[in-house]
Order: sequence, then structure tokens, then C-alpha cells
Amino acid sequence: MKCDRVRPLVEPYADGELPAWRRLLLARHLIACPACAARLEETRSLRDRIRAEIPRFAAPESLRASVMAMAGGPSSRASSRSRPDYRWRWTAAGALAGSVLTMFVLFAGNAIQDRRSNEDLASVAVNAHVRATLGNQLTQVASSDQHTVKPWLSARLDYSPPVRDFAPDGFPLVGARIEYLEGRPVAVLVYRFREHNVDVFVRPNALRFGLSEPKTIRGFHVLRAEGQGMDWVAVSDAATEALAPLLRRLAEGS
Amino acid sequence: MTEISLSARLRFESEVLPHLDAAYNLARWLTRDGDDAEDVVQDACMRALRYVGTLRTGGARPWFLTIVRNAFYDWVARNRPVEIAADRADAIDDATDLDALSPEQEAVRRGDAQLLSDALQALPLQFREAIVLRELEELSYRDMAHVLGVPIGTVMSRLARGRAMLRRMPSLQPVHDVVQTRRQS
Repeated sequence: MKCDRVRPLVEPYADGELPAWRRLLLARHLIACPACAARLEETRSLRDRIRAEIPRFAAPESLRASVMAMAGGPSSRASSRSRPDYRWRWTAAGALAGSVLTMFVLFAGNAIQDRRSNEDLASVAVNAHVRATLGNQLTQVASSDQHTVKPWLSARLDYSPPVRDFAPDGFPLVGARIEYLEGRPVAVLVYRFREHNVDVFVRPNALRFGLSEPKTIRGFHVLRAEGQGMDWVAVSDAATEALAPLLRRLAEGS
Repeated sequence: MTEISLSARLRFESEVLPHLDAAYNLARWLTRDGDDAEDVVQDACMRALRYVGTLRTGGARPWFLTIVRNAFYDWVARNRPVEIAADRADAIDDATDLDALSPEQEAVRRGDAQLLSDALQALPLQFREAIVLRELEELSYRDMAHVLGVPIGTVMSRLARGRAMLRRMPSLQPVHDVVQTRRQS
């Protein structure tokens, strides 16, 4: 293939948008052509930098609340004085059963998928951590009080992660936020360790994080632990040896 | 306002609402302002509630983002008509035409923007929305074509052009170039 014919295909290749046969042709050309290979590298590094440095803005609570109200969310429905309407109940029960089934299918599907996307999770978590740090949006709820943080998270998730402050052990709880991992909201507990920020991603065991061993990406350490029916992943630029005790305490609940 | 049925509300809650962050992020990058983004998303949610019946199961994300984008273009026509006039379909040519660039865009073109997010802010609308949908919302080309209402070929050329403009930032140049420039100056 000629370079001028290949050039417009390099970005779609980096975006994973080429059909298999074209991908093969292009891969062969890239081995032989340093100029096109450099272009590919440029495209990829730009994407990494965009995802690491450009904040993805989360909808503010005020907006979420007003939209919920607009849609007749739980609060406004509860306050309406209408007498019980059984047809509504059946609709709701049906919707609930449907969503339980959907959740189950998603859980099962994801358990399989997670194992395949093993390596990606660490870099997604690191990117989320970096983005939150740069965008100054580490916490959506800022509190060192576990009785404030835990209900805040429970209200926004379909599970309720254990939340504890470890200030006496050198890991003060700073707050929490919600991240989207693999298209699903995940609780992130935010701790401080000396001058470092530590993000701890928590989700139920059924949705294991695909991370078999500790990894280091661009100077950020990623560790995983299991315990208390949850899966825990810590991300920080603090040393691995410093993170391990925090993760152990969280996972063992001690 | 016409009454919205319960099933529409439930569907909105279960299928559309999970994409509220994506909607806000898109609106935030399009309007470049937090309050304006909230207005746009609220408007989009009203529309989504009304038309949720036309939503095919599973395609909620591009569907909702299309509505957000439409709501934005209506908002911008009402509130910032100048911006839209400066950013019409021929913006692809404008982007390379010095006279047509705003000061911020010119800064990006010269590579003066300090931060990548500033550079993205300053991109003309067409390229900004393409980059946000692809790199932050991770939409496929097909979904992007749907949201932007253009053929896939146009999606590709807008992405390529947007990325080329972002790459002009000094911090994205190879390191030895930057060092040499510093020594010379």
C-alpha cells in the first residue's frame, strides 16, 4: 500500500474502527513505514493525554435533582396524595423484575468480559484518578465522617460499600465520588496519605475488577484486594508498600 | 405542558437518566459554561421525556446525546447567534484561514495554548464536539454520525482536523524540539 492511501486510515485504525482485513493490510504497512507508524503513535499519545488531562464533567447534584423532579422521581411520587392505584404497582413490579433480570444478565456478562479486559482496568482507573486530580474533582462529597459518606454513596448506587476513616493509621478519609467504569457507576473512596491522594474503587464481588497483580502505570500504582463481599482497587502515586496496609484494612474491615 | 405517562417516566429514569453525566459533559464542552450547560441539559431532558417513546432499547446514549446537541444548537441560536455564524459548515476551511479565527483559536493554531483543555475549549464547535464525543464519551464512528447528523466520512475528517489542531500545542511537540526552541530563545 502507498503512504498517501494509507494516511487517512491511520486514525480510524487507532480508533479501532477499521474492518479486520483492512486492519491487517495496514498493520503490515506500519511495520515497513516509520512515517505512518509515527503518525499512529502521535494519535495514540494525543488520546492518552486527552483522557488523562481533560476533565469529563459530571452533572452537578442540583441538575440531577431538578431532572429527577421533572421526571416525577421517588420524592415527588411519594408525596402525592393519590389513593393507591394497583395498576401502577404492577407496572412498577414489572419494571423492577425486569431490571433485576437485566442486572443479573449484566453481572454475568461482565464477569466474563472483565476477565478479558484484564489489562485495561488498571489504566482506566489511573486515568480516572488523574482526571479527578487535575480537574480538582477528587470528591463529590467531602467529609471525613463515614456516616455522611456511606449514605451519600448508597443513595446513588445499587450497592452500599463499607466506609471507614483510618486517620489514626495515617489514612484520613477525605470524601468520595462516583466514577463510571465500564459504563457503570462505581464508588470511589478518597483518602490522603501524607501528601498523596489515594483513590479506592469499590464494587461488589460479583463485579470483580479484572486485575490479577499490582501494576504501575505512568508512576501510579494500582493494587487490588477482596473482602467483605467487595472488590477493592487502590490507585495512587504513593508507594505500593504504603498502599497495601490501607487496602488490607479496608478489605478485612479491621 | 402535556401530561407524561408513567411508563414514559419509568423509561426515562431507567434508560436515559444513567447518561446524565455524558449529557452534561457534552453540554459543558459545547457551551463552555456550567450554568448554560445545566439549562441545555434541562431542556434536553424535557424533550427526552416527551419523545422517550421513540427510543429503541439499548440505543439510549447516542439518542440522548443527539437531543442534547439539538437542544444546544437551539440554545446557541437564541443566546449566542454570533458563535454559530462564525462556525457554520465551512468552518473546516475557516480553521486553516487566519482571518477567520478568533484570538483563542489563533492561539491554538500557533501552538500557544498552555493546557490541552484550553486548546479544546478554543476549537471551533464542529471539531470540539467531535473530539468530546470520541475521546471523552468514547462513541463509535457510527454513533457519532448519528449524533452529529453527518456521514461517517465527515466524522472522520472532523476528528482528523480537530486532532491536528490539538497537536499543534507546544507541549505535544516532541521533547527535543521544545528544548531546542528554548535554547534558541
